[in-house]
Amino acid sequence: MSETAAMPLNYLNVKKGIWSWLFTLDHKRIALLYLYSIGAFFLVGVVLGVVMRLELFNPGRDIIEPQTYNQVFTLHGVIMIFLFIIPSIPAVFGNFFLPIMLGTDDVAFPRLNLFSWYLYIIGALFALSTLIYGNGPADTGWTFYAPYSVKTGTNVSMSVLAAFILGFSSILTGLNFIVTIHRLRTPGMTFNKMPLFSWALYATSWIQVLATPVIGITLMMIIAERMFGVGLFDPSIGGDPILYQHLFWIYSHPAVYIMALPAMGVVSEIIPTFAQRSIFGYKPIAYSSMAIAFVGYFVWGHHMFTSGMSGAAAIVFSILTFLVAIPTAIKVFNWVATLYKGSIDIQVPLLYALAFIFNFLIGGLTGLVLGALVVDVHVHDTYFVVGHFHYVMFGGTGFAFFGALHYWFPKIWGKMYNKTRANLAFALLFIGFNTLYFPMLVLGIMGMPRRYYDYLPEFHSLNQISTVGSWILVVGLLLMIFNLVAGYLKGQKVGGNPWNGITLEWQTDSPPPLHNFDKMPELPAGGPYNYPNAKSE
Amino acid sequence: MSNKDHNSEPHAEHISSYREHFGTWVGLILLTMMTVFISVFGADLRTLSVATALLIASVKALVVGYYFMHLKYDPAIYRIMMGIVMALFTVFLVMVIFDYLTRN
Ligand code: HEM
Ligand SMILES: [Cu+2]
Repeated sequence: MSETAAMPLNYLNVKKGIWSWLFTLDHKRIALLYLYSIGAFFLVGVVLGVVMRLELFNPGRDIIEPQTYNQVFTLHGVIMIFLFIIPSIPAVFGNFFLPIMLGTDDVAFPRLNLFSWYLYIIGALFALSTLIYGNGPADTGWTFYAPYSVKTGTNVSMSVLAAFILGFSSILTGLNFIVTIHRLRTPGMTFNKMPLFSWALYATSWIQVLATPVIGITLMMIIAERMFGVGLFDPSIGGDPILYQHLFWIYSHPAVYIMALPAMGVVSEIIPTFAQRSIFGYKPIAYSSMAIAFVGYFVWGHHMFTSGMSGAAAIVFSILTFLVAIPTAIKVFNWVATLYKGSIDIQVPLLYALAFIFNFLIGGLTGLVLGALVVDVHVHDTYFVVGHFHYVMFGGTGFAFFGALHYWFPKIWGKMYNKTRANLAFALLFIGFNTLYFPMLVLGIMGMPRRYYDYLPEFHSLNQISTVGSWILVVGLLLMIFNLVAGYLKGQKVGGNPWNGITLEWQTDSPPPLHNFDKMPELPAGGPYNYPNAKSE
Repeated sequence: MSNKDHNSEPHAEHISSYREHFGTWVGLILLTMMTVFISVFGADLRTLSVATALLIASVKALVVGYYFMHLKYDPAIYRIMMGIVMALFTVFLVMVIFDYLTRN
């Protein structure tokens, strides 16, 4: 580029070359390292998902063998959970924007930050290495349920080791954020003046630090069981498979809040900016993040209603599950109330935020259906569950991730993408997504079980609709990626604050300078969302 | 490390005496012997023997944390944080055991 000489120094052009990236301690560059690697693995996961949908276009064998299908859904699940959705928003946008939103120059431990990215890459390579090494990728499902995971010949040990390493990466990121939030807030920014995205990351980080070790030790127990036959989970040598399920879900249910809370944080940023109105109910939104994180620890048993757990325990877990819905609903009502009487400017990021609310509502309400004891007995392990968790994770967090990408794109690269094309891509994604997953909810109620490469003839047409949905979705994805890359390469230059936001990241240049701020940022008077031009009520 | 906010005021380091370390160690050995004893002679107590084993293990962890890992001499915030984590962990155990005890 010829104009670089005249451009002010920023974090992107201050140093050049591959090593300046691989050894960077700058939280913004580490965030981008995460973005590119997470994005790449996401695409691998999408390809696997589309392969499954192609196989399911017709009943019977179409393109892959049953055993391959089992390995494909396992690898798809492992990649999407551990490599995409858990790190996604915290590692990319948390890393980039948490320090800037707090008005500081970096996270508390920059070296640890880089180290967690390397752990992420090592874990990812381990997970993918099962494709070429050992007896192929695990065929257990991403949940690695014992005793099958102890007995199968596929390379479960390596997949499990990968998840173990990825867990450490996640713990370190959480630790870093907790210390950053406690120690590095700019003078005058009390906890109750933090942007809601920081609150969401704070709650998430506590889950990462406190819950992840449980899955670490559980996965080690699987390896010990496979190698030495200790007798922890395998009933034939005195173990208890339900103990495995307890341990697994003690982590993996809180983990769904590692996925959901940061997404809610993103939505809580986007909505006030595009309504130009102070957020309705700052404290309820902030504290409900903490409440969700807390109650979320005690509901794991709802994954085990049909697995032989005691009836009394099932009732307790069912009641607790219904309780988590309350703080979640509080957030939804507050977002909607924020839009009410705002000066709404429908831009691409807001569309993604609204899509989040729509999809997450379907995901959350189907979750309540599953949490109801008697209903779950019927729909457990059917496509209803597959539809439910894609609505939460993909329709919810995935769309919030795309929304964050469009919201902060001009800040990260100092340029703007083509908005018309972005709108079109959004429409394709939204329509494709719902065409792909809504039929799954219906199929589940009709009784189609999950994790099968085949199905009965009466499920044919809904499966075909679903597969067509996956094609629309993929076109939307490709268009979105193309549009963002084009925006990066030759988009219009933008100033520091294209959306008229007032959180601190909008006070600095786009792209930000190496140390984030050239002059001390000023806290907006009257709280982080007190928009100066807001209409009075 | 970010250089802002790096005014970690040096608080007086406590140096534990040899006697204290040794006493702690003896205590831990005694507790270990108790665990072994109960698991050998109290096996027919079933749930109760599990509960005592857990109790003894918790006491040992507490002793290690307090003396060997210096929690006793650190600011209270560390003890509070440990307390929260242990409480959470206890709830996990209680709920899992509740499932086991109420199965038919
Ligand atoms: C184009 C996008 C996607 C398609 C076409 C797709 C398709 C599928 C299908 C058909 C299954 C069910 C397999 C079966 O039970 O037989 C599945 C399972 C799963 N998907 Fe996706 N998916 C996509 C994206 C995602 C995303 C973004 C996530 C997470 C954020 C995700 C997470 C999962 C998980 C965790 C499973 C469960 C795997 C298991 O049963 O162990 N998927 N997916
Ligand atoms: Cu759950």
